[in-house]
This record gives sequence, structure tokens and C-alpha cells, in this order.
Amino acid sequence: MTRFEYNNSVFQLFGQNTRPADAFSPDQEAQGFTNQAEALVVSPLLAEQYADAAEKIAEAHADKIMAELSGCDAGNEEQCRASVLDWLTSFGARIYRRPLSDEEIDELLELFGAATEMGEDAFDPHVGVSVTLSAMLQSPYFLYRIESGQADDGDVMRLTPHEMASRLAFLFWNSTPDAILLEKADAGGLSTRAEIRAEAERLVVAPRAREAVKNFHREWLGLRDIEGLAAIGKDLEIYPDYEESILPLLQQEAEEFFDHAIYEEDASLMTLLTAPWTMMNAELAAFYGVEGPTGDEFEKVALDADKYSGFLTQGGLLAVHAKPNRSSPIHRGLFVRERLFCQIPPSPPDNVPEPPEVDTSLTTREQFAMHEAEPVCAGCHQQIDPIGLGFEHFDGMGRYRDKEWGLEIDASGEIIGTSDADGEFDGVIELGQILANSRQVSDCLVTQWFRYAYGRSPVEEDEPTLTFLQDAFEAADYDIKGLLVALTQTDTFLYRKRLPEPSAQEEVSP
Amino acid sequence: MSRKTLSRRAAFRGLGGLCVGLPLLEAMTDRRARAQTKQPPKRLLVWYTPNGTIPSNFWPKDGEDFLSSPILSVPELVEHREDLLVVKGVDMVSATRGPGDAHQKGTGQCLTGIKLLEGAFSGDAGQSAGWAGGISLDQRIAAVRGQETRFASLELGVLVEGAHVGSRINYRGAGQPLPPENDPARAYRRLFGDPNADSGAVEQALARRRAALDLVRGQFDRARGQVSTTDRDKLDIHIASIADLQDRLQKVDVVFEGQCQPLTLDSLDATRVANMPAIGKLQMDLMALAFACDLTRVGTLMWTHSAADYVLGFVGDDIKDGHHSLAHKGDEDLPKVDQNTRINRWYMQQLGYLISKLKSIPEGDGTVFDNTVVFCTNEQSKGNNHDRRGMPYILAGSCGGHFRTGRLVDVGGKVPHNRLLTSLLHAMGLEDDTIGDREFGTGPLAGLT
Repeated sequence: MTRFEYNNSVFQLFGQNTRPADAFSPDQEAQGFTNQAEALVVSPLLAEQYADAAEKIAEAHADKIMAELSGCDAGNEEQCRASVLDWLTSFGARIYRRPLSDEEIDELLELFGAATEMGEDAFDPHVGVSVTLSAMLQSPYFLYRIESGQADDGDVMRLTPHEMASRLAFLFWNSTPDAILLEKADAGGLSTRAEIRAEAERLVVAPRAREAVKNFHREWLGLRDIEGLAAIGKDLEIYPDYEESILPLLQQEAEEFFDHAIYEEDASLMTLLTAPWTMMNAELAAFYGVEGPTGDEFEKVALDADKYSGFLTQGGLLAVHAKPNRSSPIHRGLFVRERLFCQIPPSPPDNVPEPPEVDTSLTTREQFAMHEAEPVCAGCHQQIDPIGLGFEHFDGMGRYRDKEWGLEIDASGEIIGTSDADGEFDGVIELGQILANSRQVSDCLVTQWFRYAYGRSPVEEDEPTLTFLQDAFEAADYDIKGLLVALTQTDTFLYRKRLPEPSAQEEVSP
Repeated sequence: MSRKTLSRRAAFRGLGGLCVGLPLLEAMTDRRARAQTKQPPKRLLVWYTPNGTIPSNFWPKDGEDFLSSPILSVPELVEHREDLLVVKGVDMVSATRGPGDAHQKGTGQCLTGIKLLEGAFSGDAGQSAGWAGGISLDQRIAAVRGQETRFASLELGVLVEGAHVGSRINYRGAGQPLPPENDPARAYRRLFGDPNADSGAVEQALARRRAALDLVRGQFDRARGQVSTTDRDKLDIHIASIADLQDRLQKVDVVFEGQCQPLTLDSLDATRVANMPAIGKLQMDLMALAFACDLTRVGTLMWTHSAADYVLGFVGDDIKDGHHSLAHKGDEDLPKVDQNTRINRWYMQQLGYLISKLKSIPEGDGTVFDNTVVFCTNEQSKGNNHDRRGMPYILAGSCGGHFRTGRLVDVGGKVPHNRLLTSLLHAMGLEDDTIGDREFGTGPLAGLT
């Protein structure tokens, strides 16, 4: 599991909000997401970090667990063992996300017994509980999602109810299933499409799902890079009022925007792209120079609909896709191309000169004219720059500007090479409208959610699943929560591939 | 030479498992004989810096005279000129092939010499590469030479950001990157444990960890027997990592003694660029200490990452551009070339500090440095055109007399760097005839020993 999932799971199991996984080596990123099974690798350092974290969590909770195990505090060995057996059966199932086999329980009981001899006293159940819990938290059945499936349907196998509970919990909450989900699985629920749909509708509106949805946007759009700007910062000669302290607020603006739009206003993709409002607190409003809230809390603020267009015009993303001393039509165009159209332009050649120095007698558009003039550059840059130039009314800090160095701004642009969004436009408002009406953009969002929800990139065999999701998204009027529920109704989600080998096989995704 | 001979290394070797008394006594009664026959261990330290260099300011303008190189001539390094072997004419040929952009290839291949895997890491633009395609130099050595020490290898970083092919150089095998530890305080705890814990408590904690890991290992072994081959590979990597940890628990804990003495660390934020000089110094001190305590014989110190664009303002107030941006300035932009030259000089000052540090630790009749080679590598040779020909390779230290230092050796150009990596394998006593893709030649470079 990822660091985010580890932290969430620990919180859910122990009510401990210390985010132990923040100390782990960072998750490997691929395609913008940190949960892609293919790229995740456990190094010796990470294995050691798992051990450190497991021991600390176990030690912190051993006393509390002990207090609930009758006989243990009193040193009644026999009674204590019996209650440990009960605890392993019940709490063990929470950690492994399924009932434990008899062999697994025996093995853990044996470890408990051995560990009781590793303390100060001849029989030290505190140490027994601590060591046993630590082992469970390092188990492959906790750290990975291992699915063996059940009854077969030809080439594919249905998941067991417990495996389905895990898939649902990790999809909607980025976390381990709660007791309710596990109870439903124990009772044999979560088996039919309809049962799973009903459960998905319950889960998607739970407060915990809001965090997972935020996390999706964080990864899809690279929102963490906003705070990450601190490492490089902005050029104070050009942006004298830049302050590092604004960066977390800009990131929060974006996160609060998606959260509020999706959960308070049932936003569609169109709303996200074109909404003439954002979320701000007093400090942020001062930064943008607009009328806004007077306190620290973030509130919805209406913006000038002729200037602003959903998340496309938020300062954080625009500041990330910029240089320390200027806007960057290239980065902004690339952002739209990659994240919104799901098109990946070829890599630049090895030998690319750095852009010209900032020249206050020319607009940024004029300074990058070479990309158009030089045939070597133009081949690729004609797909990138003309989109990014649409954002030219926003400077390198991500704020609206009427003029650049006192010069008139030309924010006209053009999209080429898409299935249904080609054409000229003037400024970000028109660009937002084009994107909002493009099926390629909505299909791209489906692909991004596919990657995030299923932990991998779609392959050819996933075509039916993608088509199903794209149609379902349309049928739900592009409502984001509707898409999330649809993600649980696909063959990719409901089944796992049957492996060629004859014996019962299992599939792993960390 | 009483203390030195019976330094911790000697004590260590005797203290395996339960038979504490006898081997230790043996060592004590026979220490003169040991001192004469025992060869000190050889060590490799990989030193990585990003963004290439400025070749015209790196290579001495006057033959082999390091003083005629604006970059090499910093006093901190010149002091050690007799211990340097600057190798000219080696190209990172493998890094012109296969998937990945220039930075990804240059970093993922600097120690592996084989093309990257296909994969989903974005390069400058686009989907372009996966992890490195083979084992890295340091890990090949660690696999053979790492058994006797508590850590087969030690990877430390300074502001290495991200977890992708541009921020990893150490690989246990294809697609198996090892992350560096960026935080000196965490690295110290990992190496030496909690400085305040008493030895009984430490022993108890180890026993408990062993017991838990034994069970975990068994579960992994069972799980691997039940999964598809791709997933099995993944679990196998995890199992190998657990096995590493188990091995280490079998080895005796650190004993501070002789040259191996605890370090007091000032707390600092290891994510701040402004702290980079302090972080770097601590990481170098820690690496030296790990060598002094013989906790490992294979180390890596990775300074930032591929294409790192930190503004290294501590080098000079006039520096406002990130290192990567500076590295891209044209040759004619003299002020920026000068700034980048000073950044390169700063790195050389750090190298000088490291050498001095290693020289300050006595070992046998000499110092730890005498038995070490520091291999300085980069992702490319020239920053503004991503050239990977004529790599600015420096070996510091003879590795127990293997390399003939105090020279600049020009091997003539177009020689794949796999050959230099092979030289380093040989210096460390391995007999492999190459590393990476055999297409790029076999055997060590002539003229270095």
C-alpha cells in the first residue's frame, strides 16, 4: 500500500493520527500517481521502516489492548491465552481484512507465547501482544492486497466478499475496510452488482471519501507541487511580494475548491473547468487583490466570470506551470495536453537551449516566437505553446494581469490534434468552454480515475471497461460522484483475471 | 598501535553469534600477528552530482596540472592532488541508447551501464522510461563484499527529491532501486540505534524484532508460492529486503571504541536548500563514521538528483537561477558560466573535505582513506547540451594501492564507461569481466593501476 493508504489504515485501526508512513521513503510515482503497482518496489530501507513503524504502533497500543484481555493483566496465563485467541480472531481479521485461517491463528499464538518470555517477567503478556501485533502489521496480508477470488466465470473469477470490501474501501477511502464493511462481507454481502452499487453509493458520500477524492486531485493535477514550489521559489526582483507562506494556501485553495464543488454542489466536470468562483481565506484574498472573507477559514468567493474559469485559473497551478521569473506557455500547454487531453507529446531532444533571458521590452509570447519560427522546434511546440498562450493573462505567480511590462497581452491560441476540440480561441474563458465540451477531455478524466482507482494503466483488454465508464459518466451528466460509483460496476473492478496455473492463485497489488 | 589494531573491526569479527569469549581472547593474545597479517578492508564510495560540468573549466588547461583547472584547483582538493586520478576520454556510451530522456539515462545508467527498462516515468515531457535495467556497480560489490559488515551498503542523500529514475542510482537488480536516506538524524539512528538506550534494552528489542520477522518471512514465503510470476517478483524483492534485515539482526551491535565514536548531531531541517552545506557535511561525517566503525564498505553519497534546479545561493549571493537552469546557459553567457563554475568548485571543496575526513581516521599503518576509492560520477559531462561523452570522472584514493594516483590519464575517447566500472570492480577484488551491457566491452581500463 502507499504511504497515504498506510496512514489512513493505521488511523482507522487504532485511531492514531500520527501519520507514521510520512517517515517512509517516498512512493514511486508513475503517470502522476503514486499508487501504480508496477512502479512500487520495497527496498531494504522501506522494509526496515515498516518494521520501525509496526513496532512503534504496537508498543503504543499494547497496554490498551492488554487492558481488554481478561486474565492478562492479572498474570493468569491460561485465561490470558484464551482471550488473546479471541483478540487475534477479531482484531486480526481487521488487520488482514478477512478472517484468519486456523493455521494463521496458531502461528500467531505461538509467536505470542514465545514473545511473553522476552520481557522482564517470566510471563509478560504485554510483550507478547506487542510483538504479535508488530508481526501482523508487517504481514503481506496487511501490506499488500492479495486476492484469490472464488467461483469461476470462464476466464475470470469473482472476488470474495472480503476482497470486495477491500477494493471498495481502498477505492473510496484509500484505507482499510471499517467494521461495517467487514460485517457485510462476513454475512456474504457485497456479492452482486446491485449490492456493490448500493454500498458504493453509501461510501462515496462518507466524510472519509472526501479525503480520497482530494487525494485524487492532488495526484492527477500535481497539486503537491504547489507547496513544493518552496524549494525553488520565485524571483523576488520580478515578484517582490512573493512569500513562501502563500504556497500552502494556494494548494489548499485548489483542494477546497474540488471538495466544495464535488461535495457541496454536486459538480460536473464542466463546473470544475468553468466555475466563476473559488475558495479563499482573508490572506489569499489579499494576495489575489479581491474582496473576500475576513478570517482564516476558506469560503466560496465569486469571481469575475470574464477572467476566471474553474481550476484552470487558480494561482497555485499557474504558478507551478511557470518559471521563477515569468509565465511559461510551454508548461501550461503541456499541462493541458497531458493531464486534460491525456496526450503525451514526444520528449524534447537532448540538446535544448534554455529560454531567453527575461526581456521587459517584449511580451512572453514574443520572446517564445522562436518555437514557431524554427522548424526544428515548431514540430512539437505547435501542439503545446498555442494552448499555453491562452493563459497569458496570468503571470508567473499565477495572478491575473491586464498587461505585461505595460504591453498589450495577446492571449489568443489554438488547439490542434485532438478528436473534438480543435480550433482557435481567445483567452482562458473560451479555452475553458472548449475543454468543458470536449468528449476527449471527459474520456481523459475517466482514464485518470481508472489509473487511480485500479492502481495501473489501462491495457487493451480494458477497452470495454473504459467504454462502459465513459458512457456511464455521460449518462450521469458528468457528475464526478456518479463516475466514482460507476467505477465499481465494471468488469475490471468486479472480477480478477484467472491465472493460467491450475492451483488456486492469488494476485498481489501493494 | 595498541588501540588501532584492536579496533572495533577486530572485535567485530570475533563477536559473531554466541561464542563471544573465545575468539575475542584469541584476538587479544595474538594481536601482533593479526596486525601483521590482516589486510584492512577495501572500500568504495560513490559520489554523484547532477547537471554535468563545464568541460572547458574542468579539464586542466595545462597537461596534468590540476592547478590549471578552474574547477579542480580549489585548495581543499589541491591539497590531495597526489591522491587523485582524473580519467579523461571515457564516454557514457550506454546512456545514449534505450528509453528515457538525457537526464534519466545519464542517472539511471551511471552505475549500471545498461539501457533503462520501458516504463511510465515522465521525462522532460512524456512517458519515457522505467527503472534502470540492471544491477549497479556498488550493489554488485555489496553482494560479494557486503556479507561481513552490518550493512552491505549504505546510501545517503542530500536533498534527493522524488522517487523516480532520475533520483536513484543504486540498484540491486533491474527495476530494484534503493532509496538514499536524506536525513542525517534518521541515518544516524538507523546506523547506531537510539544513543540513549541501554544495551539490555537494545538486546531485548532485537530479539523481539527477530521473532516477529521470522513469522513475517514465513508468511511471505507462503504467499509467494501462490501468486502469478510478475507478482512473485515483487514479493521476492520484499522478501530479499526482509532477509537483509534478518541478516543484520544476526550481526553484533555497534560498539563505540577506538576510532568509532558517537557523533553529536545538531538538529536541522534536511529539506531546506539553505541547509545543504550543513546536511552535506553531516552526511559525509556519517559516511566516514560508518567506515570507521566498519558498518559498511560500500557507500553512496548522492548530492541532489537528476536535473535538480535548486538555487544554490549559499555559493554566492549573485546566484539566482537553479543549478539545472544555470547548467543550460550557453557557453557565451560568461557570468552564468562563472556561477556554474563556482557551483562545481563548491562541490570539489566538499570532496576535499571528505578526503580530509577519511584521512583523519587511522587504520593499520595508514588511514581509512588509503583503503578507499571515491568514485565521482555525474549524469552527463556538459550541462548545456546533455553531452555524455568525455565524462568528468575522478577517482580519489588508491583503494589499497590498486590505482596509481596523482595523475590525469587520458584513455583516448569513445571508451564506454562500463570499462571504468569494471576497473572499480577489480579494485574491490571482484573478477567480473564487465558490468552492464556486454556490448560496451569487457575488461578494465588500461593504465589506471
